[in-house]
Amino acid sequence: MTDGRKMNCEDCGAEMNLHAEKVDYGTDTRTGDPFDEDLGGVVEEFHTCPDCGTTKTRTAP
Amino acid sequence: MAASRPLFIPVILGTVRQGRLSEHAARFVHQEVAKRPGVETELIDIRELDLPANDEGNPVKDPRLTASVARADALVIVVPEYNHGYPGSLKHALDSNLKEYIHKAVGICGVSAGPFGGSRVIENLLPVMRELGLVTIFWDVNFSSVHNAFDPAGGLADQSYVRRVDKFLKELIWMAKVLRHGRENVSLED
Repeated sequence: MTDGRKMNCEDCGAEMNLHAEKVDYGTDTRTGDPFDEDLGGVVEEFHTCPDCGTTKTRTAP
Repeated sequence: MAASRPLFIPVILGTVRQGRLSEHAARFVHQEVAKRPGVETELIDIRELDLPANDEGNPVKDPRLTASVARADALVIVVPEYNHGYPGSLKHALDSNLKEYIHKAVGICGVSAGPFGGSRVIENLLPVMRELGLVTIFWDVNFSSVHNAFDPAGGLADQSYVRRVDKFLKELIWMAKVLRHGRENVSLED
């Protein structure tokens, strides 16, 4: 399950760490994102690079 | 490698009001942060931000503020208490970011002319911090009777604040280190 959610850092190439998820409830203007019916919004993932500290977000699949 | 990177802990001066004495407090706290080895800092004055007043929320951004918050490991917010609450201008500035705050530490310094040192504004800010994704520490700094804490030129008149800020920063830096380690190494899925 976790392997498919891994990201690599755009800055240094290292494998990033998924450390948080947050529901974005303001989905009315984000019709292109997958809406999670159970949680009532779009889930954002937060990934941080252990080497350079860069954080990136993306919509959870 | 990660341990060799300095922590970045900006200090936010959370009011635009003319004659604000919170500026003395913010400059003093910023000085104290800057003395810490392994910590970089900057003073963010929300008066200097370019945030429009005709829109609000995450889409409205000042690029400098967003870059600083994104880089930050922790934030110090120096906030005066206005009618038991926080300045609307501070909330407007804080709301201009969202993703940038996740799993970062925050410490709050309250400022008031009265004897309670902004304790009510700190309590009012805590739920906002939580929703933004920030992690609060249990130390605060309360600048009570702020007109007595600093001389008119902004120099520290009450030396007890040196130790108070020292204890506050020790806790904040500890939390910043722990959360950086967590962001970079502790998986949500483990």
